[in-house]
Amino acid sequence: MKRPWFLRSLTVRLTLVYMALFCGSIGLMLTATYVIGVWRPLHSVRATIAQESDQLAATYQAGGRDALIRALQRREALHAARYPYHVLTAAGGAVVSANLVDWPRRSGGEWVRYEFGTYATGAEEEHEAVMRDLALPGGYRLLVGRDTEDLDEREDLIVEALTWGAAMSVLFGLLGGLVMTRAVSQRLERINRAARAVIAGDLSGRIALHGAGDDFDQLSETLNEMLSRIEGLVASIARVSDSIAHDLRTPLTRLRAELEELVAAPDPGEAQDRAFAALEEAARLQSMFEALLRIARLKDASSESHGLVDLSRLLEDAVELHQPAAEERPLGFITQIAPGLVIRGDRDLIFQLVSNLLDNAIKFTPPGGVIYLEGRAGRDRTNVVVADNGPGVPAEDRARVLERFYRGKGEGGGFGLGLSLVAAAAERHKATLSLDDAGPGLRVTVSFPA
Amino acid sequence: MHVLVVEDDERVASHVVKGFRAQGWHVDHVADGRQALFQVAAETYDVVVLDRMLPNVDGLKILQTMRASEDSTPVLILSALGDVDNRVRGLRAGGDDYLAKPFAFSELLARVEALSRRKGAVQETAELGLADLHMTLLSRTVTRSDQVIDLTTREFALLEFLLRNAGRVVSRSMLLEAVWDYNFDPQTNIIDQHVSRLRAKIDKGFSPPLLQTIRGMGYALRP
Repeated sequence: MKRPWFLRSLTVRLTLVYMALFCGSIGLMLTATYVIGVWRPLHSVRATIAQESDQLAATYQAGGRDALIRALQRREALHAARYPYHVLTAAGGAVVSANLVDWPRRSGGEWVRYEFGTYATGAEEEHEAVMRDLALPGGYRLLVGRDTEDLDEREDLIVEALTWGAAMSVLFGLLGGLVMTRAVSQRLERINRAARAVIAGDLSGRIALHGAGDDFDQLSETLNEMLSRIEGLVASIARVSDSIAHDLRTPLTRLRAELEELVAAPDPGEAQDRAFAALEEAARLQSMFEALLRIARLKDASSESHGLVDLSRLLEDAVELHQPAAEERPLGFITQIAPGLVIRGDRDLIFQLVSNLLDNAIKFTPPGGVIYLEGRAGRDRTNVVVADNGPGVPAEDRARVLERFYRGKGEGGGFGLGLSLVAAAAERHKATLSLDDAGPGLRVTVSFPA
Repeated sequence: MHVLVVEDDERVASHVVKGFRAQGWHVDHVADGRQALFQVAAETYDVVVLDRMLPNVDGLKILQTMRASEDSTPVLILSALGDVDNRVRGLRAGGDDYLAKPFAFSELLARVEALSRRKGAVQETAELGLADLHMTLLSRTVTRSDQVIDLTTREFALLEFLLRNAGRVVSRSMLLEAVWDYNFDPQTNIIDQHVSRLRAKIDKGFSPPLLQTIRGMGYALRP
C-alpha cells in the first residue's frame, strides 16, 4: 500500500503518533476532572432534588395546595448551599408561587438543566439550575430545582481547556514535527549524498560528522569505517590483479613458447620433451594461481573450518617433512617443541604456514647454517618461532616481504607468495606475525591467541 | 566399474569420460543437476564424480538428497571453488573426497580408484608388490630380489601408497595428503627429498628402476 506523500517521512509519522498520544492524554486527564468536578456533584444535586420534590408532592397530597405553598416558602427561607428554586403553576399556566421569572414553559422531560437570568442576589446574574418537572393532580405543574451555576462554569472551563489544549498541542506538534523532520532529513541527506557518491563509483567520499556524537554521528562513523574497509579491499584487489597480470605473463609466455615449439617439433622425442615442459609450466601456473586465490579467500572468508589442533604434533610433523630438504643443503635443524600445545584453527592451513616458513629458512640459509623451530606456550598466547642464521632481511624490507609477489634478491624459484600466504593465514587465526633480526639471520614469530 | 560423471562443461566432461573409458570403465555422463538426481536414483554406481556448480540443481543439493535417501555411493566433488571453507562444506555435506579445478587427470583417476576401493574395502590386502619388489603389511617388511630393505615408518607409508597406486601417476599433494595427512599444495621440493631417499633404498643397485619422476605431474611406480 502506498502512503500519501506527507506520511512517507518517518519523522512526520512519529510526530503525528506522538501528537495523538499527547492529545489523548490531555483528554483523559480532563475527562477525569469532569467526572470528579462536574458529573458527580450534579448527580448528588439530583438526588437531593428527587428527595425534596417527593416530599413536596407528598405534602400536596396530604394538605392540598396551601400546605404545598407554605412548604415551598419554608424551603426557600432555609439557608442552603445551593439556592432552592421553585415554580408552581395552576392548570392553564397561571403562576401560583415562584421565585423565578423565567422557566421552561413547556415540559421537556422529567429532568432539565435550565439557564436563566435571576435577581436572587439583587443584581441580574446568569444562572443555571437542575430542575425536576412534576405534574401534580388537579392540573398543577411543579418545578423544583437547585442552583448549579458553579458546576456549569466548571464544565465550560474544562471544555475550553480541552479545546485550547488540543489546538495548542496540534500546533506545537506540527511546528516541532516540522523542525525535527527538517533536522533529521538534513542529517539523513548527508548520508544519502555520501552513499550516492559511492554508487557513482567514488569510494573516497565520507559522511561529514555533526560533531555532537549522537546516534547519527555514530551511524555515520560506522558507515565511514565500512567505506574505509571496502575501499581498502577494493584497492588491494586492484593491486593484486595488477600483480597477477604482470606475473602471470611470464609463465604464460613460456607455456606458449613450449607449445609453439611442440607444434614445430621435428621428431617425436623432441615433441614429448616440449609437451612435458609445457605441462610443467601449466602446473606452475596452477600452483601460483591456487596460492593467490587462497590468500585472497583467507582474507575475507569465515572461519567455519576451525577446530582444535594438536600444535605439538603438527610441528613435529613439519620437522619430519622438512628434515631431508634441510640435510640436503646441508643445514643443521634445532627444534624445541613443548609437549601438549593445542590451539584453535585450521590444521591444514597452520601446517602450510609452518611449512612455508621452514621452506624459506631452508632456501635462504647458506649451506652449513642452522635452522631453529620452537613451539612454546606463553601466559595467554602460543608462539611458534622459526629462525635461521642466514643473511636475514634488512629492517626496511621487512614489511614488504609480506606483500604478494615480493621476491628477495639473488634467488630463483618461488613466486614471492610464500610469506604473504603466511601473513594471510596468521591473520585468519587472529595471530600476530613479527619479523626480527636474529643477529645474524631472520626470526619469524607467529603468536596465536590461546 | 560403473561411474557417473556430473559435469556441465563439455570439454572437461569429454576429457574425463574419455579417460575413464580408456580404463575400461562403464561411464555415464549428465550435464544438468535435475538429470543427475534422476540418474543417481535410477542406477547404482560405484563412484559419482560431481561438479559443484550445475545448472538447475546445485551439486551440494544433489549430494544432500543422496545422503538423505541413504544412498552411500562414494562421491568425489569437483569444484572450481578450491578454498578451505568450500572443501569443508563439501565434505560435511556428505562428500567422500574433494578435488579443485584445474586438476591433472591422473590425480582424478587415482582418487576415484581410491574411493571405489574404499567402498568394497573390507578385505584388506596382506601383501603388495610390483616386479621383484614385495611388501608384507603385517610384518611391515619390504624386500627386493629377496633382499630385505630397511625403511623408516614414513618411507614405508610412502611406498605403500605408491604400491597401492602402482602404474599410476600420483601428485605431490596426493602424497602429502595420504602419507602425512595434511592437505595443501606443496610448492617446493620437500616431498622430492623424501621420494629420492626412498628411491635410493629401493632402486639403487637394482634393475629396472621402478620409482619414476613424471615431469609436470608427480611420481609413478612402474616396472
